[in-house]
Amino acid sequence: MSTVVMDIDNLHARIGGKEILKGLNLQLEEGKVHAIMGPNGAGKSTLSKAITGHYDIEVLNGEIRYKGQNIVDWEPEDRALEGIFLSFQNPVEIPGVNNAYFLRTAVNAKRKHLGLPELNAAEFLREMKKLVAELGMKPEMISRSLNEGFSGGEKKRNEILQMMMLQPDVIILDEIDSGLDIDALRAVSEGINKMKDGKRSFLVITHYSRILDYIEPDYIHVLKDGKIIKTAGPELVAELEEKGYGAIEEA
Amino acid sequence: MRPVLLGAMSPESLMEELQASPSRALAARRLSELGMPTRKSEAYRYFEIDPLMEHDWDVLPVAPTGEIEETQRRIVITDGVVTALPADVEVQVGCSDAIDLDGAHFDPLYYLGHLMSREVISLRFRKDTRVTIVHRYTRPAKLLAYRTAIYVDANVHVQIAERYEGEGACGALILSGHDAFVSRDATLTLVKDQTLRIGDYTPIFSHRIKVDSQASCCLHSFDFGAGSGLQLIKAELHEHARIDADHLLYAKDHARRGTVSQIVHIGQSSLSNQRAKNILAEKARGIFDALIKVEHTGKYTKAHQNSKAILLNDGAYMASKPQLEIYIDDLEASHGSTTGQLDEAQLFYLRSRGIARDEARKMLILAFANELIDALEDEVLREELHRSFEEAYWGVTSVTCMETCHGCEDLAAESAAK
Repeated sequence: MSTVVMDIDNLHARIGGKEILKGLNLQLEEGKVHAIMGPNGAGKSTLSKAITGHYDIEVLNGEIRYKGQNIVDWEPEDRALEGIFLSFQNPVEIPGVNNAYFLRTAVNAKRKHLGLPELNAAEFLREMKKLVAELGMKPEMISRSLNEGFSGGEKKRNEILQMMMLQPDVIILDEIDSGLDIDALRAVSEGINKMKDGKRSFLVITHYSRILDYIEPDYIHVLKDGKIIKTAGPELVAELEEKGYGAIEEA
Repeated sequence: MRPVLLGAMSPESLMEELQASPSRALAARRLSELGMPTRKSEAYRYFEIDPLMEHDWDVLPVAPTGEIEETQRRIVITDGVVTALPADVEVQVGCSDAIDLDGAHFDPLYYLGHLMSREVISLRFRKDTRVTIVHRYTRPAKLLAYRTAIYVDANVHVQIAERYEGEGACGALILSGHDAFVSRDATLTLVKDQTLRIGDYTPIFSHRIKVDSQASCCLHSFDFGAGSGLQLIKAELHEHARIDADHLLYAKDHARRGTVSQIVHIGQSSLSNQRAKNILAEKARGIFDALIKVEHTGKYTKAHQNSKAILLNDGAYMASKPQLEIYIDDLEASHGSTTGQLDEAQLFYLRSRGIARDEARKMLILAFANELIDALEDEVLREELHRSFEEAYWGVTSVTCMETCHGCEDLAAESAAK
């Protein structure tokens, strides 16, 4: 078995008084693609929020050990600086914050954290423009306000752009395929696949198997009622497609 | 002089007491009708005016105009006296006694300012131009009253940037303001940086703006100051005239600052668009008390008004009162007001990318303010105001061209080409 980069142990978490995660156990292996599938309301997005330290989440019990440390009480920015990245299901629009300025601030915060020199504007923009072109984004996205007026596909591509610029170690993709047409899905998937380097881990949260045609998973985890009830190889996707989540019972 | 005592005087007594010119009879009559402002006055309800009106002020006499320095595009008014002027002949500056007073201004201090100002500094613009007016205050604990009149001739387009320096004027009360007359087909862009950086004087700027047929006025006021201060604006719009008024306020500590305005649509097809953004920290109080009035003659008017406020602390307070008073049916009008805190979802998004909480808050506050700063067409002024806001909010500026323009893209392209 590969090295475990994140070990979630007996995680109980609630949102607004309602317990959503009820003793969730999950191990993410270094360099592997883990897909989490499950019905609506199972707790998939809550899990991504718990890992990234979202303000809505109250962790009641359990641990999230990342690179050997329990990060449950860490600030969101500290988790990000240590390499955790969440591609949001619905990225917020922030009028007035220039996309390039935002991303350069984030990239330089990360570089500072790693003890690297900050990128100047020209260096940064050169890199950003290259990736914008690779992702098939319009060049004007660089100077527009962050996500403001972006279509669903543009928002998701912008999330992938951030991911590629920030070079995280653990990438959580929360329903990255929602709202994407085929071309956008292909561009986004290509961006994700380029990030695979045998060291970086992925947690792909999805309802449907469509995205898994493009990003081949190593493991499939079924999340139901706040717990992982089954873990198997990619062959589980076909079974889920055929029988649905209702047929999967807790092991 | 205790201003409060003037409130009970007859017009004749006011003229005598203030040794006003006979041409100010209208001002005396109106001040007598309105009385001196108190905390019960509508325009000053949210502003602590009583201590200022009850104080026994030592009135600073406006000295006769002396030697005037020649400058490029800068007019300097020091303690109410013009001390520097551009050599450029496009601008005519001189003191004038004759001025067309507004007989229906809502602010009594507009009239008091006129009664106390023996002469009005008169600026007439006959050609397109851009100038900066620096108002400099040097005398502490005095009451200084002076007025300026701005005349923009027909078909002329003028931009005036104004800033205020009051390092030496601690404890002073400044009663000032413009009577601006924008002639037919002319444009006046007035960019006022009312930030009080050092010193602690109280400015009460009472303006009257008359926008003639098919003329337009863009009023951008920026106030990142401490202490107390109020601007009161009365604007009248004639046929097909337009005013765009933006007000950006950042106040902290125990500051009480803001805008009280009346925009009156007199002519048909006139247009007004007023936006206020207020950022309030600590125990500061922000004021936006604005009325848009559409007269019977203002058919097909378009009038829009909006105020947004962010409260950064529990003790901060926003008094927001947008109002419409409409006497016709054929028009398009809207008004709205929101007051809240920074958006948690936006804050989390930024933090989830590794940006520290304080930096993320700063980015969101700058973003909130940027909408009004970015509305300035003049890039130099835009840069200055970005910097001014950052300095007021953050103490230092780290504004880079990337935040405010896209010149870096050219730089990047050049480096890539190499």
